[in-house]
Amino acid sequence: MGVLPAFRLHRPTTLAQALELVNDDRMPYAGGTELLLAMKEGLLRPTHLVDLKGIGSLRDVRESGSGVSIGALVTHTQAADHPIVVDRLAGLAAVLNRVGNPRVRATGTLAGNLCFAEPRSDVAAALIALGGEVEIASAEGRRAMAVEDFVIGPYTTALEQGELVTGILVPVQPDLRFAYLKHQTTERPTLGVAAAANSHCSLVVGAVGFAPQVFRSPSPSDLDPSAIADRVEVVPDLTGSEEYKRHLVEVYVRRAVAALGGRR
Amino acid sequence: MRYPTRLDAVPKVTGKARYAVDFAAHGMLFSALVRSERGHAILGGVDAEAALSVKGVVAVITGEDLAPLFPRYGHIVADHPILAIGKVRYLGEPVALVVAEDRYSAHDGAEAVEVLYQDLPTVMNPDQALADGAPLLHTTDYGVGDRSFSEAHSEPRSDNVCHRVDLHWGDVEQAMSRADHVVETSTSYPMLYGYAMEPYNALAHFEDGYLKVITTAQHPFMVRDDLARVFSLPLSHVRVTSPYVGGGYGTKSYTKVEPLAAVGAWYTGRPVKVEFDATGSILTTRADSARVTIRSGFSSDGRLLARDVDLILDTGAYADNGPLVLSKASNRSFGPYRNPNVRVRGRAVYTNTVPSSSYRGFGAPQVSLASELNMDQAAEVLRIDPGELRRRNLIPPGERHYPGKRPMDADLAADLDLLLEGLGWGKPTPERHGIGFGVTASDAGAFPVSTATVKILPDGSALLSTGSSEMGQGSRTALSLIASRELGIPLERVAISQSDTHATPYERTSGASRTTTLVGLAIQRACLQLLARLEEVAVELKGGPPTEVKAAEGTVVGPWGDLSYGEVVQEWFGGQLGELSATGVVRRAGDLAELPPFWEIGASGVKVRVDPDTGQVFPLRMVTVADVGHAIHPEMLKGQDVGAATQGLGAALFEELVYDGPQLVNPNLVEYRVPRAKDMPGEIVSIVAERGDGVGPYGAKGGGEGTLNPMGAATAAAVARAVGRWPDRLPLTPERVWRLMRESGR
Repeated sequence: MGVLPAFRLHRPTTLAQALELVNDDRMPYAGGTELLLAMKEGLLRPTHLVDLKGIGSLRDVRESGSGVSIGALVTHTQAADHPIVVDRLAGLAAVLNRVGNPRVRATGTLAGNLCFAEPRSDVAAALIALGGEVEIASAEGRRAMAVEDFVIGPYTTALEQGELVTGILVPVQPDLRFAYLKHQTTERPTLGVAAAANSHCSLVVGAVGFAPQVFRSPSPSDLDPSAIADRVEVVPDLTGSEEYKRHLVEVYVRRAVAALGGRR
Repeated sequence: MRYPTRLDAVPKVTGKARYAVDFAAHGMLFSALVRSERGHAILGGVDAEAALSVKGVVAVITGEDLAPLFPRYGHIVADHPILAIGKVRYLGEPVALVVAEDRYSAHDGAEAVEVLYQDLPTVMNPDQALADGAPLLHTTDYGVGDRSFSEAHSEPRSDNVCHRVDLHWGDVEQAMSRADHVVETSTSYPMLYGYAMEPYNALAHFEDGYLKVITTAQHPFMVRDDLARVFSLPLSHVRVTSPYVGGGYGTKSYTKVEPLAAVGAWYTGRPVKVEFDATGSILTTRADSARVTIRSGFSSDGRLLARDVDLILDTGAYADNGPLVLSKASNRSFGPYRNPNVRVRGRAVYTNTVPSSSYRGFGAPQVSLASELNMDQAAEVLRIDPGELRRRNLIPPGERHYPGKRPMDADLAADLDLLLEGLGWGKPTPERHGIGFGVTASDAGAFPVSTATVKILPDGSALLSTGSSEMGQGSRTALSLIASRELGIPLERVAISQSDTHATPYERTSGASRTTTLVGLAIQRACLQLLARLEEVAVELKGGPPTEVKAAEGTVVGPWGDLSYGEVVQEWFGGQLGELSATGVVRRAGDLAELPPFWEIGASGVKVRVDPDTGQVFPLRMVTVADVGHAIHPEMLKGQDVGAATQGLGAALFEELVYDGPQLVNPNLVEYRVPRAKDMPGEIVSIVAERGDGVGPYGAKGGGEGTLNPMGAATAAAVARAVGRWPDRLPLTPERVWRLMRESGR
C-alpha cells in the first residue's frame, strides 16, 4: 500500500495533443489529488497518465459573456483568490476556501474535482446550485453541459471517450442569493447543502448520497425541509446512520432556506 | 524569566532533523509486507514463486524460514511471531516479507505472493472471546519474557484471557452494605490509534558480527534485548540507535518492526529497510479499548466508603504490553481518593484484532472515564457540588491511598481549586453549554533505573550521554538545562548524545513520564560526582586542603586561585587533551525505594457548547494544571500538557477504530480523525503548580501524560451538563450526542 504502480506519463503542451492521447486507458489528470490516492490504494490502475499541466490555455480565469470561465487547470486556491471570482462569484470563492485542506486546495482543480465525481464533493453541489456548466472538448469539436447533467453518479460522469473538460462556466447573476452550508467532522463533508435563489430557487443536497440531489422551487420558502429529508437518497457511513443523516438534511435545508431569507 | 528555545526546534521546523526514516546504508534493500487477509486462519502455505520472478525481488521470507532463530518477540509474553507461523490471528498480520532492490519491486513482489488460508472462527471483541466454547487464539506455552513480570501467563491456555489482575483491600461488600448511596457507572472507551507523524520504520544490517539497527523506538535498550534473543546474540553484539523519534506517545515503546528488518538483513546478508505508512502502522499497534463498570458506596455526607471495579481490556491478537497496561489500568481505576475498601477485577482479553500496547496515559484514560464520571454522577445523587465531593475525598499530601505504594506527593485539592477557577466553575453557563473536569493520579515513572554520563572536555564544555530518546517531548533541552545548571556553564557549551545502546549508558525506557525526573536525577548525580572529581584533581595538581577547594559556575576555586574546568582537564592530562567523566546511577534505593517514583497528577477540564440541532460538540475552553513539583522549562511543559489534553479530546470527540467483522473499516488518517488546529478550543489555559514535592531535580516530578487522563470523563461530563443525559461511551460524535438529546428530551 502507498506505492504508485508503474505507468507511462505523457506531457502534452497543447489541447490538440492531449485530445489525441486520451482514451479509457490513458487517464488525464491535473492536480492528481484524487487519482493518485486511488492509484496508491490499488483502486485504479491506468497504464498511461496524461498530465494536462503543460497546457497553458487551460489556466485562465476570464469573463465570458454573462459568466466567468474557470480553466480546467485552475486550482481551488487560485480560483478562490482570483479577483474576478472574488468580485463576481463571492459565494463560490467562499466554498472553495473550505474545500478539503490547504494541500488539496493548492493542488486540486475544480475541473478535476468534477471529473472524479467523488460523492462528497463540495464543488459539485455548489456549481449545480449556481447553474454552472462544464466546457468539453474532443477531436470532433466542443460542447457544454450543465454540471447537474455531467455528474451522474459516484465516480461517474457523462464525459465520453476521447473528451476532455477544458473549463467550467459559471453564470454571474447579480441578484442571486447563495448559501453553502456543510456538516463536516471528518476529512470529507457528511452533508453539504447549496442553495441559490433569485426569481426561482435551486437547492442541492450533496455528500449525503451517491450524487448531488437537486430540488427546485419558486422561492426558498416553498422548500419543505422535512419532505426533502424524507426523499433524499442517504448512504450511512461512519459519520452517521441513515436516520441521523436524514435529520441533518432537514436541519441544514432549514438553515439554508433561512440563509436565503426564506421563512421556514 | 525567558527560557531558552528548545535545542531541536530549528532543525525540526526547517526539516533538517534526521529521523530513522531518513537513514540509508550502502547496498540497502527495501521491503514490503504480505499481510494476512483473514482475521483468524490456519496458514495453508505461502507460494512465493511468482513474487521471486518479479524483477528486483531478492527474497521472500516467511515464518518457516525463521526456524533457525527464536522467531517471536514480546517483553512480557513472547507470543508475537515476527512473521506468522502456522496461523494468522488478525487481518493485517505480517505473513511474508518481500525484500527487493527498490520499494516498487518489493511492492509488486508482495502483490504476487499467494497465501493459502483455512479459515477459523474469529472472536472480534471481548464478549465473543470470553464466551463459552470460544475459539482460542493461543494454546501454546510461550514462557515469560520479562522475569520481573512474574504474574504473566506462561502455562497452556484454556481461555482467551491474556492477563488477569485481582486487587483488593478492606471489605468492599460489607462497606457497600452500610453505604447510604451506591452509585454505578459503566463506560466504553474506544479503540484508538496513537497517531505519531513518523510511521514505524527500521534499518538493520549485520556488520563485524554485530546486528546494527536504526529505528524509531522509544526504548532502544528493550528492543536490543528482544533482538538479542531472536538471534542468540550477546546483548553486547546488538546495537540499536534511535535518532530523533518522530512522535511516540507510547506507541513506539517496545519492539515493533525492528525484528522484520533484522530477519531481512539476516536472510539476505544485506542492509534491509522496513518502512510503513500510516495504515501499516495502524495495523501494527493500537491502544486498548475498555469496558469498565465501577460501583461506589458513599455516606450521605459524601465520604467514599468503597469502590468496586470490573475492567475488561480488548488487547488484540498478541500480548505486547497488554498485561502491563491492564496492571496500570487497575492501579488507576479507583481514583486518587481516600478509600478504605477497594476491589478491582481486571482482564485483558485476546481478540482477532490489531494487537494493542501502550499509549499515552497507559490505561488511565480508559478507567478514568468511568471512575471520574462516577464521581460526577454520585455528586448528582448526593446533591453535593462535584468539585466539593472530590475535595472531601481527595487523598491529602503525605497520605497513602494505595497500600504499599508511595504516599501522595502532591496537593490534589489545591490542583483542583486551580482547575475549577480556570474553568469558571460555579458561574452560570448559557443554555447548551457545559463544563466538565476530572482529577487523576497515575503510578508513573516505571521502574526507577537510569544511568547517565557527563564529561568535561579540555575546553571546559560538557557532553552528556543518555540512553533516553528525544521524541518531541523536549528531553534534549530539559536534560541539558539540568547539566548547565548543575555545572554552572552556559547551555551553549552543553551537548547531548542520546539513545544508542553501544554509545550511551543504559536507560530502561523513555516512557511513563519519567525522563525529566529520573534521567534528570542521573544527570544531576553525574554532575555532582564530576564536580567532586574536578575538585579532587585540582587538589592533586595544586594542593590545598580539600575542604577549601570548590568547583562551581565553571571554575574550580582554591587557596591558590581559580582554574577553569578546562584548565583542570588540560593540566592533569598535560596538554589540550583528555576528559573527565562521571556516571550517575539511579536505582530503586533511597528516595526511590518506594514505588511509584512519583504520582503523576492529571487535572484538566473543558467547557463545551453543543449544537442543539446536530449534536456537534464545540470545545470552547480547555484548562490544564501541571502539578510537577518544579518546571525545568515551563513553556515546554505547557506544550506537553496542552498536547496531552488535546489527544484526550481527540478520543472524547473524534477518534475510534471501527471493525466490521474481521476488517478494520478506517485504518487511515482520512477516516480515523485526530484533532486538528481548527478543533482546538478558542481559549486554552495551562497552569503550572510548583510545590517542590517531587523526587527529581529541584523537586521535579513527571508530567506530559497526566492532563490526557481526565479529558474523556471531563468532556463526557461537560456534554452531560449541556444536554441533560450522561453519556456512557466515547467518542461523543454528533450522532451520539443528538441521540442523548433525544433521550433527555432537552
